[in-house]
Amino acid sequence: MKYLRQVATIAVKDVRAELRTKEAINASLAFALMILLLFSYTFNPAQEMMREVSGGLLWIVFAFAGTLTLNRSFARELPNDCLDALIAAPIPGSALFLGKCFASFVLVLAVELVSLPVFGIFYNVHWTAQLPALFGVLLLGTWALTVIGTIFSALTVNIKLREVMLPMLTYPILMPALMAAMRLTTLLVTGQPIADDDMAWLKMLIGFDVIFTAVSLALVETVLVG
Amino acid sequence: MLASLFDASVWTALIAAAVAALASILFLRTRHFLYDSLALSATETGLVLIAGGIVAGAISGHAGAGLWWTWDARVTTALVGFLLYAPYLMLRRAIEEPTRRAASAAVVSIFAIFDLPVIALAVNWWLARRAAPVSVDAGWMILPLALLGAGFTWIRLRQEQRRRARDAERRTAQEI
Repeated sequence: MKYLRQVATIAVKDVRAELRTKEAINASLAFALMILLLFSYTFNPAQEMMREVSGGLLWIVFAFAGTLTLNRSFARELPNDCLDALIAAPIPGSALFLGKCFASFVLVLAVELVSLPVFGIFYNVHWTAQLPALFGVLLLGTWALTVIGTIFSALTVNIKLREVMLPMLTYPILMPALMAAMRLTTLLVTGQPIADDDMAWLKMLIGFDVIFTAVSLALVETVLVG
Repeated sequence: MLASLFDASVWTALIAAAVAALASILFLRTRHFLYDSLALSATETGLVLIAGGIVAGAISGHAGAGLWWTWDARVTTALVGFLLYAPYLMLRRAIEEPTRRAASAAVVSIFAIFDLPVIALAVNWWLARRAAPVSVDAGWMILPLALLGAGFTWIRLRQEQRRRARDAERRTAQEI
């Protein structure tokens, strides 16, 4: 119980700080809408082929926009040496990590939920066809994005090139999760059921979340303290 | 011939990745810099081997299908593996402080080794919809490549240890 309260305290603090300054979420949202618009120039949005690539397009947007938010996750604590204070605080490193994870999760999810209807309108896609399942894939994919993003945000926070290093490190690791999310999203958005073959992708996405949450929790003390 | 060269390089690179991950775990446990040097030299060896393997795979694709890149599942997996490990070296260059550098690099290496099987599985599933993967045996080719890899790792390990000793002396000199 005490542990959960510590996690919640960090998460609420982060979300509150972000909602007051809006430094990451505004940039992230503007960026997401910008890419959605830019993609419409690469192919004719009215074509049927558009639906085939819709899942891929959406997750590229989410991954790019999410990185902007995740970059700030630990970098936000650098001024006034707040990060040192957080590490010295009487809470386990894993609680700090999970708190930051949940905060980023909420923020990235918010950006996604705003981009989804915009995507539906711009590209004429009936994304509401299988809403509960789509929401489930969104949650799983976003958790993969945030758990990897947060741990590497902590790893790169003291590096001069951190804005460059974070995507370099996270995208190759995220590739299986993104592939699974893209495939499942394409199916759900185009109104197809998830057949037996594609259940494997769902299992992989869940497995990815479980494995990398565990690895991150095991290594978080090393990442924070060095 | 080229296809089995590709196969042998990838297998040797996989061994190098496993050695690097093991050395990284040992470094985090013991904080002995020998393990950090071993992880670095094994990763460099693996990257060189896999780069050679991708080139061999592309050439063998060109010889077979007339295309340089046929989105063969195994060559594509090798490419993702290369992209997975390349930032390891970039991260090391970006961090000055030796302990911090070694610990951060070790974390990346451990994440990467857990990701490799998932990537192989995902790329296979994804590309299986276009073309069935072709299975080639590495055969005897793996032996010379494994020897080459071990030799290269050994040389880089020695270099790395000397560089570290030199850096330590330089620091002592500066303190005086």
